[in-house]
Amino acid sequence: MEHGSFSDNSKSTFSLTDEDHTLANAVRFTLNQDPRVSFCGYSIPHPSENRVNIRIQTTGAPAREVLKDACQDLMMMCQHVRSTFDTVVADYKTRNPSEEMDTDDSDNVG
Amino acid sequence: MAKKDEPMSEGEEETEAESISESESESQSLSGGGESKGGLEYIMSLPDVPTKLPPHMELQRTRVFCNADAPIHTDTVQYSGAFAALGEDNSFRLDHFRKNFRIEVMRYSEDDMEFDMIGIDPALANAFRRILIAEVPTMAIEKVLIANNTSVVQDEVLAHRLGLIPISVDPRLFEYADNNAPNERNTIVFKLHAHCERVKGERRRHTVKANDLKWLPNGSEFLLESGDSNSNSTSKPKTHTSFSCSQDSLPEFSNNPIGFKGKLNDIIIAKLGSGQEIELEAHAVKGIGKTHAKWSPVATTWYRMLPEVVLLEEIEDEMAEKLKSKCPVGVFDIEDIANGKKKLTVARPRACTLCRECIREGEEGEKRVSLRRVKDHFIFTIESTGALPPDVLFTEAVKILESKCERVISDLS
Amino acid sequence: MGLKQDSSEEHAKQNQDCFECWFPFYTFDNLSDPMEKWLSFGKQLPYDSGIDKQFLAAPIKSSVDKYQLVPEFLKVRGLVKQHLDSFNYFVNVGIQKIVSANDRIVSSVDPSIYIRFNSVKIGEPSIPRDGVSEKITPQLCRLSDMTVHSRKSYPKIRLEKKNVIIGRMPIMLRSCCCVLYGKDEAQLAELGDVDTGTTKKRIIIDSDKKGNINASVTSSTEERKSKTVILMEKGQMYLHLNQFVNKIPIMIVMKAMGMESDQEVVQMVGRDPRYSDLLLPSIRECAKHGVYTKQQALEHLEAKVKKSTYSGASSEKVFFLFFVRVRRDSFRAKCIYVAVMLRRMIDAYLNKDTMDDKDYVGNKRLELSGQLISLLFEDLFKSMIEEVKKRMDMNMARLSRSSRFDPLQYVHGDSISAGLERTLSTGNFNIKRFRMDRKGMTQVLARLSFIGTLGHMTRISPQFEKSRKVSGPRALQPSQWGMLCPCDTPEGEACGLVKNLALMTHVTTDEEEGPLISLCYCLGVEDLELLSGEELHTPNSFLVIFNGLILGKHQRPQRFATAMRKLRRAGKIGEFVSVFVNEKQGRVYVVPDGSGDKNCSILKTGSINKRCVYIASDGGRVCRPLVIADKGISRIKEHHMKELLDGVRTFDDFLRDGLMEYLDVNEENNALIALYEGKSTPATTHIEIEPFTILGICAGLIPFPHHNQSPRNTYQCAMGKQAMGNIAYNQLFRMDTLLYLLVYPQRPLLTTKTIELVGYDKLGAGQNATVAVMSYSGYDIEDAIVMNKSSLDRGFGRCIVLKRCSAIRQKYENNTEDRIIRPNREGDGAGRMQILDDDGIAAPGEIIRPGDIYINKETPIITRGPTVSPAGLPDRAYRPSIQTFKGPEGESCVVDKVALFNDKNNNLCIKFSIRHTRRPEVGDKFSSRHGQKGVCGTIVQQEDFPFSERGICPDLIMNPHGFPR
Repeated sequence: MEHGSFSDNSKSTFSLTDEDHTLANAVRFTLNQDPRVSFCGYSIPHPSENRVNIRIQTTGAPAREVLKDACQDLMMMCQHVRSTFDTVVADYKTRNPSEEMDTDDSDNVG
Repeated sequence: MAKKDEPMSEGEEETEAESISESESESQSLSGGGESKGGLEYIMSLPDVPTKLPPHMELQRTRVFCNADAPIHTDTVQYSGAFAALGEDNSFRLDHFRKNFRIEVMRYSEDDMEFDMIGIDPALANAFRRILIAEVPTMAIEKVLIANNTSVVQDEVLAHRLGLIPISVDPRLFEYADNNAPNERNTIVFKLHAHCERVKGERRRHTVKANDLKWLPNGSEFLLESGDSNSNSTSKPKTHTSFSCSQDSLPEFSNNPIGFKGKLNDIIIAKLGSGQEIELEAHAVKGIGKTHAKWSPVATTWYRMLPEVVLLEEIEDEMAEKLKSKCPVGVFDIEDIANGKKKLTVARPRACTLCRECIREGEEGEKRVSLRRVKDHFIFTIESTGALPPDVLFTEAVKILESKCERVISDLS
Repeated sequence: MGLKQDSSEEHAKQNQDCFECWFPFYTFDNLSDPMEKWLSFGKQLPYDSGIDKQFLAAPIKSSVDKYQLVPEFLKVRGLVKQHLDSFNYFVNVGIQKIVSANDRIVSSVDPSIYIRFNSVKIGEPSIPRDGVSEKITPQLCRLSDMTVHSRKSYPKIRLEKKNVIIGRMPIMLRSCCCVLYGKDEAQLAELGDVDTGTTKKRIIIDSDKKGNINASVTSSTEERKSKTVILMEKGQMYLHLNQFVNKIPIMIVMKAMGMESDQEVVQMVGRDPRYSDLLLPSIRECAKHGVYTKQQALEHLEAKVKKSTYSGASSEKVFFLFFVRVRRDSFRAKCIYVAVMLRRMIDAYLNKDTMDDKDYVGNKRLELSGQLISLLFEDLFKSMIEEVKKRMDMNMARLSRSSRFDPLQYVHGDSISAGLERTLSTGNFNIKRFRMDRKGMTQVLARLSFIGTLGHMTRISPQFEKSRKVSGPRALQPSQWGMLCPCDTPEGEACGLVKNLALMTHVTTDEEEGPLISLCYCLGVEDLELLSGEELHTPNSFLVIFNGLILGKHQRPQRFATAMRKLRRAGKIGEFVSVFVNEKQGRVYVVPDGSGDKNCSILKTGSINKRCVYIASDGGRVCRPLVIADKGISRIKEHHMKELLDGVRTFDDFLRDGLMEYLDVNEENNALIALYEGKSTPATTHIEIEPFTILGICAGLIPFPHHNQSPRNTYQCAMGKQAMGNIAYNQLFRMDTLLYLLVYPQRPLLTTKTIELVGYDKLGAGQNATVAVMSYSGYDIEDAIVMNKSSLDRGFGRCIVLKRCSAIRQKYENNTEDRIIRPNREGDGAGRMQILDDDGIAAPGEIIRPGDIYINKETPIITRGPTVSPAGLPDRAYRPSIQTFKGPEGESCVVDKVALFNDKNNNLCIKFSIRHTRRPEVGDKFSSRHGQKGVCGTIVQQEDFPFSERGICPDLIMNPHGFPR
């Protein structure tokens, strides 16, 4: 999955199968904001292949670790988004109970 | 089309990559220039050197400018060192994100919702959108066993139509079928038997709708043809499914039968002429929208950046009327000011669809009104097909992104 | 919009007293072209301060919305009415004429014995089955590969009064003999055969031929067709005729016809010294041959006559300009004709501008199926008569006659039936009697799309070969305005040669000449034979030419023409009779013969047209209806249109009341036609009904064609015929060899008036797509398009392909027959026989894979020799002759339907329709309605697609670089 040089672990290309822009672009975003990264980018070599290549060059830290951290960051962000969303929606539902009743769940099942 | 530039985020990778290198070189040259004049430290210590970004750059960083010809400053600056020369740290800080991130629900109903996501990067907002469309699983009819079809609708077409009907059932209660035999944990079976009676001297028509599909909690009723010769003695004849127990005995479905919700019941499957008949069994399985659009849980989902309409000068009287009438969505309003004069105000900037009618007159128009978008404020809309409520879909989508990250992490270590 | 209309009405009201008011309503309609109107209201609605108030205040020429006439016209005439008209004419009139012209078969042995055909009648379509004739419907024939036939029977007298069947006639669908005739759509639906147009198995190519006079008279009673050519070589004039070995000096011909005096000839041609100068060499040539008298001339000619079947013929029997009737042995009419020909030729020689334009649409005649079939029938009928006569004579000559002599036994229709069928199926018209040998005259009607079918039926193919590298005939002719579609022509070798009829075009059929001729004489035409050569060319007189025949001359041509037109508008003479006054100086049709010699040119007796009045009633002319205007004011008023809408007035009433008339291309030259009523001037004589009717059916489907680059419209005309969608209302019951259907065809969101007229909104093709215009992914270069996978998942562009397989249970001469047997359900062959029913025939609805057997048939090993009883044949006397399905691997096909029927030879025939539903793939072709085609370059997931501010995601993306500029 990882194609890098053996001598220098600060530059590496990671090839993720069964992934696309969804993950790669999000990871690239978090990678970019990491001060240890000097370059990062991704590409989909061919549209008929379910594969995405992520290239990372760091200022010295091992690329693998940087990618892991980026994924970790992304997960944390997601968790925060989820918790925020859940509270806000719950909040909204308690504030507007009538609106929820609006929807037709009377003839719920056919 | 140009107005969609920003939302069409698929194209943005390249522009962003470019912008990174640009801002990089920019900052280098800036710092280089600084050094030649006596060192960065010295300059930074001067009283009139801002520690924050200058206002025009801050504006460019946070807003897209939609000019009459094309939008500009469309990039989001992601690189951690982009503003290093200006003393601004652009690197990622989770606490910073936590502090700034907000969600506001604008509208919520059983099958659609609109909420504002503030303080998030388009890369993430887009990831959520993509996952919602393509990767949140639902149940959809995949296999149709046709016993009799004398209608004008061809078998394949009928099967295709059945597949596209959204089933109101929580897909989280099911497993992926993959190559396993169909059982009560991965398959829902429906039966359809419609018939249009032939009456002499009458031209009868019968419309088959989704609610004619009847749930079979015990699985398929069609017997497997090859089974009858050797399994005569066994008590249970072999069918196309192997359910170990009835689905309605499971706690999830015991008093919540599987079917179609509300308007989904009225989806037309076929129309029958007199004497025509359809008899079939439909097997629904779990899948994702990437494989086929029928498994997509949303009719559509999309986001747009918050529009910001700024009047650059006081617009009065005739011009005000003119601008107000130009806007097809009614962004502007007119306010009476003293001595019978009228003034244009921006009443509903959120309604702006970026048609740019108000700035169409060339430079004149652009000097009067500035159309902008807030780069980190997304108005996110989810229209569910009816299987799951939209808020659950969003939570599921975020979870899927998390699991993707987890997978990468576990793969790497 | 509302604003503007109000204001217009206001203006109108204000001005009502200051101008003469013709109509109570004033609207903006027809003020300008509809598009202009549309644009203007978009642009200047609230702020139209810059508009010329004067213009707005000016009285608006009131106009009537005449659009409703177009659907009414099409209701009366139908889109492909020209074929039906022509066929109906043949069936009702032509066939009777042919038969009555040759109604007697007289035995040469005993002239008192003869057979006479009294009348001819075409019966109902039927087929003989087991001795009983059964009525049939086209649907039945379509399934059983037969042609719709009708019996022709002739009641005859003399011997017995019984109907004699003389042949079986293929019937054009929807013609007056067809069962579908006169049925409304609901009835037709029950017969299982409905198109909004018409259905027809084969069409006969309409070929246009040059309007030379010879050609236009072939259908007269004489059984010949000749081509008379006068040519000029080295300053001398010759007559070229097929009967002669070589060309004859023209003066000899004149002398042979009794014009012995050279002076008379010169006088006939015209006294201008230039004419006589040019005639001089010919006169000299004649003298050189030593021909001075009629007798000498005749002898000279006799020597030149080809020795053929007409060996004993004297020169009088040489049919030369035979259409000019020889009355009481007077050749005067012929002489005048030749003289007029000579004069035109000399005119052309002196002045090249007077040559005829052979691409002029008015000089062309279309041949429709009725005319061609009538030629064919005439030939076959005469052959049959000859045959009967020969047999009769043979029988009579025999002395001992055992049985009672019944000449009727020889009258049977096999030769006619077979001849008709053979010619129609091969398309080779080889009629010796008329020296006609043309190939490819019949074509199988394209049935792959509804528009393709309609387009095919309005097509006009040229007679000559397409390989000629000429530009003249290919160029757009100004005279084809309104008659032939300016857009619809194929690309490539047939470009400009193959044309299509416009929406309102009508093709005339022949009309009775006799009454018209006598009418002309009544209206003051001076008889040709009473005129001297001198009188013929007096400056103020006009020759009157009827169907290419010189009737005489008239002193007051305009008055004559007006009288004729009045009669026509009053319905006293046929509505398609054209009256055309040519006031131009002479134009003669001269074609250089290619030798490069300037002196050598051939004059074909094209239209002889210097200062002439032409009356035409012949068939094959194209014409179209126009509204008559008096001093620029339309005769059709608002109340007429209201009556039309209320259904109390029909299109024919408009014609009968003299509100409208048909003009052919020649007569159009005498008219000043305004495009809109508002643009008419006092000189205007006619007003167009609707401008869009200059386009044909295919071009009419293009929205806003006037905003397109011109070739795009032409491309679209070719492509519209390939569009998938619906084919006919009976499409699901058809058993065509190949059928493409769209699963979800849609009515176009943007329709044109033509679309509504031809029923494209009911039998549509194609789907409405949401399209983004952007460069995307690089798989869209060179007009390729990117498609949305989710759209395809949801049914966009899904189509059904139906293919046909068939099998015959053959009967053999030894009374054995193929048999279809029950499949064996076990054993090694069972797997391939899974889809068979117990009767050995594949069951509809079964999935059929390549290699599957669809009919379990066995053939007897011995099929010749002595008769055996088929029942007693043991199993081993049969060998299997199963038929397996050969389809592409990986496609899942389904047996759609199975039809069993008896074919022509009464064998059981089984047809299978195999269905395959497919979704668009990379490489499939898609097109807009503007000649913008492209292949699908890649299919992309929906999440990778752009979306709009309102969440709309396109179905496909087109590259902006592919747009024409």
